[in-house]
Amino acid sequence: MQRILSRENVIRWAPLLVLVGLIILFTAINPAFFSQRNFARIAIAAAPALMVAIGVTFIIVMGSIDLSMEGTVGLTAVLFCFAFLATGGTLAAGAWVAVPLILVLGAIIGLVNGLVHVKLRIPSFMASLAIGFVGTGAAVLITGGDIVKINDDTFRALLTWRIAGFPLMVYVVAVLALLAWFIQSHTILGRNFYAVGGGEELAHASGLNVRRVRILGFVLAGVFYAVAGILQVAKLGQAESVSGANFMFISITSVVVGGVALWGGIGGIWNTVVGVLIVNVINNGMVVIGLPDYLQDGMLGLLVIVAVVLSTDRRSVSFVK
Amino acid sequence: MDLQRLKPHFPWITLLVLVVFVGITDPNFLKPANLLSLAGDIVPLFIMALGLTFAIYIGGIDLSAQSMANMITVVASVYLASLGLWVAALCVVLGFGLGLLSGFITTRLFVPSFISTLAVGGVCFSVAQWLSGNRALNMDAEQRNALFGWMIGRTGIIPNELFIAAALLAICLFIERRTTLGRALKAVGAGELAAAASGLNVTRYKMLAFAISGALAAIAGLLFSVKLSGGAPTIANGFLLPAIVAVLVGGTPLTGGVGGVLNTAIGTLIVAVIRASMLYFGVQATQQQMVFGLVLIVAIALTIDRSKLRTVK
Repeated sequence: MQRILSRENVIRWAPLLVLVGLIILFTAINPAFFSQRNFARIAIAAAPALMVAIGVTFIIVMGSIDLSMEGTVGLTAVLFCFAFLATGGTLAAGAWVAVPLILVLGAIIGLVNGLVHVKLRIPSFMASLAIGFVGTGAAVLITGGDIVKINDDTFRALLTWRIAGFPLMVYVVAVLALLAWFIQSHTILGRNFYAVGGGEELAHASGLNVRRVRILGFVLAGVFYAVAGILQVAKLGQAESVSGANFMFISITSVVVGGVALWGGIGGIWNTVVGVLIVNVINNGMVVIGLPDYLQDGMLGLLVIVAVVLSTDRRSVSFVK
Repeated sequence: MDLQRLKPHFPWITLLVLVVFVGITDPNFLKPANLLSLAGDIVPLFIMALGLTFAIYIGGIDLSAQSMANMITVVASVYLASLGLWVAALCVVLGFGLGLLSGFITTRLFVPSFISTLAVGGVCFSVAQWLSGNRALNMDAEQRNALFGWMIGRTGIIPNELFIAAALLAICLFIERRTTLGRALKAVGAGELAAAASGLNVTRYKMLAFAISGALAAIAGLLFSVKLSGGAPTIANGFLLPAIVAVLVGGTPLTGGVGGVLNTAIGTLIVAVIRASMLYFGVQATQQQMVFGLVLIVAIALTIDRSKLRTVK
């Protein structure tokens, strides 16, 4: 019994139990919650958020933080629309070029983020926050505050074409989550993230180029934010400078609630997947059982504090800033 | 003259250079009336930055300041009618209390301050949406003028906001330089472990720093809502970035321990001049965020004390 209730086991399984508990709770209050249609709704809401959360997971595993997602998602979403329209306006006419183009752009934004953080030796939360502001500003600058629309049925098939009730984008996200898991578990880079997060000085002493790993982490995160930007466009059929709004709070909350420790080395992609589902189930469930939606941010705020407190080994932390 | 000895003087030199530079480009800028109204307009931002200074001075950060100000604009608009002048007390107490909560979560529960304040900010946003019903609210103009009109009028050519700013600055300066609290905050900012080892109740002082930050953010919100004669859950969005910039370009680094509220006064003026000069050079308001983001990076890079960071996470 003692072994089953050990700290590690609780941290590993608590998020999943919370998720199951929430689903049972909401279903008990309103059975309409437990329907295929509603699950599809949750999945669509969760899809871009999951991409952002997976991106930031790599960073948090390293013990850093990335707060640039709102700017990056906004900017990539806007530029994706422009690139899409400039290269023909439909996938068939050659606009598919916009996809790799925007993924590269995401990588570049991540690279700038990483370089500012590592080369100028600025703490990542502030470096990335500033880059995020610049990204949002650039998006405003480019759009002039307007909305850019895309009307291509082939591209919108990501949302409209459903297989077994779930739209195509959900499957795309599932495949990319698998890819992220592969990077995390089966590549040298992925293992290095854990080495840096587990003990940076030790990793450095064993000959790891920590600075390079950090920069690459931000590049990888940037690519996932770009995917989120594209999916956001697919979901809404349009982009504007605030397309990335609220992703910061939601994604950090999801990652932490899923059980990824803020100081690095603990947790991973599956925790994030569970965390994103918890957050989205709560958001959806609160609406389904008739609670006002303004409670959401407050609820998430309390949740993230509880999650951080529960996942903190208080004996090993002397003080926090 | 080496660079290290010059460093504390950078902020006011920057300010002077900027003012002269803009003054040459547009002589109208230097007219006293223009400078005064410029300074008057920046006061809500200054008050928020003043509070943030305390959080940053101890090496933390307060990302809830903007949501706090948002919430307070709503609270002020809703309760002005029923509470009258007491609404000001309610706002300050609310800000102080929620700041204390951020401090408690940070120090007692070991949640890093950027997360704890982000979370408390989320709570503020919820409260603001709930109280306002997600609408923009208006104050009763007559009542506002009767009770808070003194905040926004003019004495001669001097905007009254400047007196409020000066009073708050004086109080903060007194706290920083002449009280046990101020000395303790300096000790915590300079080296938290050493401060704790020498028997200082670090937890209490850190909580107080966040509480002061919250209270001042609330006052900023109150003044802002009086100025606009109303409130809304997102009305003060866009304050956080320039407020952080003001603290940092003033010379209080993210690592804490040096700088202080007087630096923030200079930093806020720098922000005001940058803003004004951008208008003169035809940079639109919507693009300012980008510029401030870049200024922020430069400011952090120049001020941060890297010897305090064993590893930069």
